[in-house]
Amino acid sequence: MTAFKRLAIVLAVVCTATAAQAETIVASVNGMVCALCVIGIENSFKRLPQVQEVKVDLGTKSVTVRTKDGQTVDDARFTRTITNAGYKLVSIFRQ
Amino acid sequence: MRGCLALLGLWLVLLLPTAGAAKPLSYVGGMMLMQENDAGGHTVGIDYTFHPNWALAVHAQRHVPYGAPGGGNFNVIGPQINTLIKRWNLPDGQGNIFGMLGAGTAIDRGDMRGAGWAGFLADYETRRIFLSYELRLMIADKVEKSAWQRARAGWATAPVDLEKTSVWLMVQVDRRDQKHLAAHHTGNAPATEITPLLRLMYRSFLMEAGVSHRGHVMFNWVKQF
Repeated sequence: MTAFKRLAIVLAVVCTATAAQAETIVASVNGMVCALCVIGIENSFKRLPQVQEVKVDLGTKSVTVRTKDGQTVDDARFTRTITNAGYKLVSIFRQ
Repeated sequence: MRGCLALLGLWLVLLLPTAGAAKPLSYVGGMMLMQENDAGGHTVGIDYTFHPNWALAVHAQRHVPYGAPGGGNFNVIGPQINTLIKRWNLPDGQGNIFGMLGAGTAIDRGDMRGAGWAGFLADYETRRIFLSYELRLMIADKVEKSAWQRARAGWATAPVDLEKTSVWLMVQVDRRDQKHLAAHHTGNAPATEITPLLRLMYRSFLMEAGVSHRGHVMFNWVKQF
């Protein structure tokens, strides 16, 4: 195998692995005070096809969303989902 | 036709839930089923939130005139629109002002009359404190005019946590003013009623129960989908 072919294979593997990674998005959200708030946000995110898991923590006022492999939820979509659930997005942090 | 509508109204009143124990809007695409039972009657409501600020509801109520049980019961049913007028999303709390408007039919001894109602609700809630004020006005043609006010204050025994049952100790003050427009309706509402109550909440289910200082039992429940 030539060096060029080896390089191509390595690059392909690296690119595939990178593209297949799931993303974890942690957001700080204002206004969440009750269980119905949590259910509303969870159900709103679960309707997005790219979302694997969503967790809401009332204590830290945070929403953590884990996407499916190779998928993401962009800032605009994330903000709209929080807003449609009735709350205010303060900040987003991506891991 | 009238019989079918009356049966539908009765079915809704008996089997579906009401408004007042929870906010009249949930999340876009969400539905909420609510029911209230107290000395004023039985109310059932189901709402669907189609916009962050708007929900469409069906409201059904069996009015039991205060102080005259059986002396002029009537049913009201119809569509209702709920709107979020203003919301404050704060780091540790949420405040809301809602408006409700509905129109439909009042069924009184088999006679169908036009009816309209409007409501206003303001609330503030944290994980430990709940405060609200609600006003509902209703006019049923040749049946009754009424105004109903409710103020509530509540305290959670521990900060609300999704996976634990939240226990709230609350007190509500009701004020009902009625004017009967039908001769066969008798009795006038006692001016004020104070009800200590217990609210239990687990995930998307909420339940409240209490007994007023006049001995009237109240029981409400809400389920969000």
